[in-house]
Amino acid sequence: MDAPEQQKLTGRDQWRVLKRLLRYLRPHKGAATVALILLGLTVLGSVLGPYLIKTFIDDYLTPREFPAQPLMLLAGAYLSILVLNAVFGYVQLLKFQEIALRIVRQIRIDAFTKVHRLGMRYFDKTPAGGTVSRVTNDTEAILEMFVDVLVGFLQSGFLIIGVYIAMFALDVQLALLSLLLLPLIFLIMWIYRKYSSEFYQDLRERLSQLNGKIAESLNGMGMIQVFRQEKRFREEFGEINDKHYEAGMRNIKLDGLLLRPAVDIVYALGLILLLSYFGITSFSEPVEIGVIYAFVTYIDRFFEPINQVMQRLSIFQQAIVAADRVFRLMDDPEMEPAQPEQGDARIAEGKIEFRDVSFSYDGKTDVLKQISFTANPGETVALVGHTGSGKSSIINLLMRFYEFERGEILIDGQPIRSYPKDELREKTGLVLQDPFLFYGDIESNIRLFDGSIGSGEVQAAAEFVQADPFVRSLPDGYGQKVTERGSTFSGGQRQLIAFARTMVKEPKILILDEATANIDTETEVAIQKGLERMRKGRTTIAIAHRLSTIQDADLILVLHQGEIVERGTHRELLSKGGLYHKMYRLQNGILEENEAR
Amino acid sequence: MNVFMQLGWFFKERKKQYLIGILMLLVVAGLQLLPPRVIGYVVDEIRLGTLTGAGLGRWLLILAGAALAMYVLRYYWRIMIFGSSVLLGRRLRSELFAHFTKMSSSFYQQRRVGDLMAHATNDIRAVQQTAGHGVLTLVDSVTTGGAVIIAMAVTIDWKLTLIALLPMPLMAVLTSWYGKMLHERFRTAQEAFSDLNDKTQESIAGIKVIKTFGQEEEDIDDFRKLSADVVGKNVRVARVDALFDPTISLIVGLSFFLSIIFGARFILNGDMTLGDLVAFNAYLGLLVWPMLAFGFLFNIVERGRASYGRIRELLAVPPDIGDADGAADASPRGDLAFDILEFRFPEAEHPALRNVRFTLKKGETLGIVGRTGSGKTAILKLLLREFEGYDGAITYGGIPITGYRKERLLEAFGYVPQDHFLFSATVRENIAFTDVDAPFAKVREAARLAHIDEDILGFADGYDTVVGERGVSLSGGQKQRISIARALLMEPELLILDDSLSAVDARTEEAILAALKETRTEETTIITSHRMSAIQHAHQIIVMEDGTIAEKGTHEELMALGGIYHEMYRLQQLEALVEQGGDA
Ligand SMILES: Nc1ncnc2c1ncn2[C@@H]1O[C@H](COP(=O)(O)OP(=O)(O)OP(=O)(O)O)[C@@H](O)[C@H]1O
Ligand SMILES: Nc1ncnc2c1ncn2[C@@H]1O[C@H](COP(=O)(O)OP(=O)(O)OP(=O)(O)O)[C@@H](O)[C@H]1O
Ligand SMILES: [Mg+2]
Ligand SMILES: [Mg+2]
Repeated sequence: MDAPEQQKLTGRDQWRVLKRLLRYLRPHKGAATVALILLGLTVLGSVLGPYLIKTFIDDYLTPREFPAQPLMLLAGAYLSILVLNAVFGYVQLLKFQEIALRIVRQIRIDAFTKVHRLGMRYFDKTPAGGTVSRVTNDTEAILEMFVDVLVGFLQSGFLIIGVYIAMFALDVQLALLSLLLLPLIFLIMWIYRKYSSEFYQDLRERLSQLNGKIAESLNGMGMIQVFRQEKRFREEFGEINDKHYEAGMRNIKLDGLLLRPAVDIVYALGLILLLSYFGITSFSEPVEIGVIYAFVTYIDRFFEPINQVMQRLSIFQQAIVAADRVFRLMDDPEMEPAQPEQGDARIAEGKIEFRDVSFSYDGKTDVLKQISFTANPGETVALVGHTGSGKSSIINLLMRFYEFERGEILIDGQPIRSYPKDELREKTGLVLQDPFLFYGDIESNIRLFDGSIGSGEVQAAAEFVQADPFVRSLPDGYGQKVTERGSTFSGGQRQLIAFARTMVKEPKILILDEATANIDTETEVAIQKGLERMRKGRTTIAIAHRLSTIQDADLILVLHQGEIVERGTHRELLSKGGLYHKMYRLQNGILEENEAR
Repeated sequence: MNVFMQLGWFFKERKKQYLIGILMLLVVAGLQLLPPRVIGYVVDEIRLGTLTGAGLGRWLLILAGAALAMYVLRYYWRIMIFGSSVLLGRRLRSELFAHFTKMSSSFYQQRRVGDLMAHATNDIRAVQQTAGHGVLTLVDSVTTGGAVIIAMAVTIDWKLTLIALLPMPLMAVLTSWYGKMLHERFRTAQEAFSDLNDKTQESIAGIKVIKTFGQEEEDIDDFRKLSADVVGKNVRVARVDALFDPTISLIVGLSFFLSIIFGARFILNGDMTLGDLVAFNAYLGLLVWPMLAFGFLFNIVERGRASYGRIRELLAVPPDIGDADGAADASPRGDLAFDILEFRFPEAEHPALRNVRFTLKKGETLGIVGRTGSGKTAILKLLLREFEGYDGAITYGGIPITGYRKERLLEAFGYVPQDHFLFSATVRENIAFTDVDAPFAKVREAARLAHIDEDILGFADGYDTVVGERGVSLSGGQKQRISIARALLMEPELLILDDSLSAVDARTEEAILAALKETRTEETTIITSHRMSAIQHAHQIIVMEDGTIAEKGTHEELMALGGIYHEMYRLQQLEALVEQGGDA
């Protein structure tokens, strides 16, 4: 699926990804600082606790002296530290969670925004499931990183430093000795990182494939069932599922070999070191028992955060791999054609001109060759031709779905590239060949997000496309629920709703790509009449296979394999006796023959 | 914790692994007790000045041996327990997928793809966590905790142990209270995530519409709102979630406090040595982790419970269309008789079909015309058993279609739907959808019949061209014709074309129809269309109007009738004829 993307993440890549992730912390500097200070305080508290106990043992318990006041003070200090620690700990945990959630939201929004900046080319080649998975699931994996890992790492870092300071304060020599443990731990981490980045990347990739397969199967379930391919899809899914399972097992093994179990070995080493140190020292000089107690506690305290770090290392790896996938989406170069953001170029007339436009989707074969034509304001230009001849492609260019390099498209004499996107979108209306309905209700599907369109206008548009009677007959009328992709409506009804959506905008330039292909003739004729009435001041470009629907066009272009082979009005073309004539005869030939029968 | 009960079937199945894993955990928990004890002895010996080099060496060897044993055991219990949990994930995922493949249209109509995907990913992950980390944490916290407590009580002092444990019941009360709050909050948070998934899924599927209407910013705003909702719901979770650690730390701190105070008293009374107290504290230190784990456990388990609940709900929906008992294991042949009194789509108010009766003889062609929404597709959907629950009967070859095994019934039908759906695979795989191993010649033959062969050969990679999801990189007519080829490859007994020629030009339409007529002499065909040219040669034509048959007959009969059909026909050629008149 998106297999070619599976490049290996080098250490430097990971570092880069991490830095980019951390940049998201910037807007939360204030909150993060507060949380960090609280975190520091709680760490301090947890280091101070054992210290107070040590003081008690060494200064009071061992000599068996119990002065009331200092002891009360000691107890009071201990208890206050406990309570304060709990309060600070709570606020700090909550703050970090909030920050993490906000960061992930930002990453999600950035990724989603990027999705909307991508050109159609990207969607042509990327399965939707994979992209969805990046925007939602992969970002979710990042969440855990900010909630658990970063805070965990920081906390652990603080703790480790705190513990070391305390150890140095107690016994410099021993503290230096226990520093020896660090390189060992780093070595384990380094080995782990090396393998796990690869393994986790594999795991995430498999997960993404799994998601892609589920998404596609769910979308096409109707077809799978009608063609009795359930078993095959189950098997195919099973295969991906197995691979995912294997990848999961590999990760478990790696984690088992190198994470907590390995660190515990180092812990044992630390203890051995400590005991030999004190044991051997005790042969020559007396040792303070309190110091041993403190060191044992500190070693425990020291390994607690180390263990947590190791535990989180796997989450960290997953997050880095996931973040890398999200960032790759964000950096995808397949952008939509550029259009100035601002500008005062306005479409006043709606004159459209194609000059020698050639175009290719794949850079190899041209689907459009030297297309030139002019649609004057108020005129209707019809595109006809066999299927696959390039009609929709012309519209794809006019709508700026794809960038073209050769030739020029002008609107009102200005290059199309000079108009701001908003202006283009506002003045042009397209009815797509495949109607797409959104989850919601009928009214929201016609209005989309445009709050300035009132219910009256929605209804007027529906009336215009002859959808009003059927909408009214629904139990909830315009408020009728639309399920995903409008599955509870008939094909023609979907097309009508999509048509109304365009008409409600009253576009200056109207583009119809077989807008009535799935609609009955009676309805079509009614719509046609409506359109005719409103032709003034509107430029129309229409594609239709039913020639009867376009024969009163001012200009008919006949496309053949990407070229305009004939042009003229209906009459002109008929008298030419070319391709159009043939197509027309064919349609009417059938009619004549039937009349004769 | 009752999610563990709900998952009991799985634990039973993997009894061996779980038992061995837990046993290993127990041994590790026991071994873990060694170091503090060793420390205690060494400290005491140091204090008394009785420590010798050999003694020290012995103690250290014991420590090293225990560490190694723990390493090995820790590795293997992971394989046993975590391995099982990954297996559970795989099981549930394939169960869910298999379930999805059994569900009918009415199921999908009520649900959203993004939602279902969230179940298959996030929810399963949460359940998997429960069966892995959840079990581990439970066993770990109970055993390590229990072992530590027993060791404290037995080897040091049971009274001090009891005192140190005094604050624990308070913790149990608090954490279970938190857990309850968490459950509901998790559920809402997970639902918010599902919504976000739905939104993303839909925006990407409808990207072209959004681009067309320049509504990117608005769509992003909508997404922003949903993400804010996700944040809000998760902050609610965090508010409870963040309570666990501080509460537990506080309580463990209290334990430390109590143990020192009372430990000191015991030492003064001569009931304990200083070394005992140090060891006791080391034990208490060992309790910190299992306690924290307990909080963690609640978190995992509540998440798992919420998720498993959602998954079970989904799996509990019974497939509504399946094989009846004693269904015929035969492929239908013969005449088709359609006799429907009334049919309503699920949750629809008006009947979609009323009094629809017709018979179609084997080898004949039926044309269905009628206005948009008049019920043409509905007839076909009933025939394909996509929906059931109608009043009436549909028989094929004299047997009701529900009397056939569904699989055998469908193998006779070659369906070309109104809204074509292609899979992201090669053209060849899409055409050979029902028969993956079909020889290439057969694939090409089907393509040729559907008049798409030439187009395909014109693609950069020919038959190996990968069509994007839903066939985005094909023209409208190409998609339709590939769908037709896919159905023709089956050489079906009954071919169903649902407005499947709407995006092809007249010449191609004519050619395809002619090819069908030529090759399909014995077989039956149903065609619905808005273009009269596609159906006028049919043996029988029915005109649908508002869910019922308004007119029925051959083209000539219907023309003679002078009703709806005649009017439709006239309309379609009206302008053409006018033009022609002017032209001549
Ligand atoms: N996104 C795309 N990527 C690559 N090739 C494409 C893409 N869209 C269309 N094509 C190819 O370009 C050619 C012209 O397609 P186009 O959609 O313009 O045809 P059309 O004239 O609209 O046909 P129809 O009447 O069937 O809709 C076809 O061969 C098609 O396969
Ligand atoms: N799944 C469904 N749930 C509820 N109502 C439905 C469902 N599918 C279709 N309908 C309704 O049933 C009626 C008949 O729909 P059907 O799809 O059969 O129309 P059709 O004749 O095929 O129309 P078209 O020519 O537009 O394809 C329509 O009013 C439609 O809105
Ligand atoms: Mg097209
Ligand atoms: Mg239909």
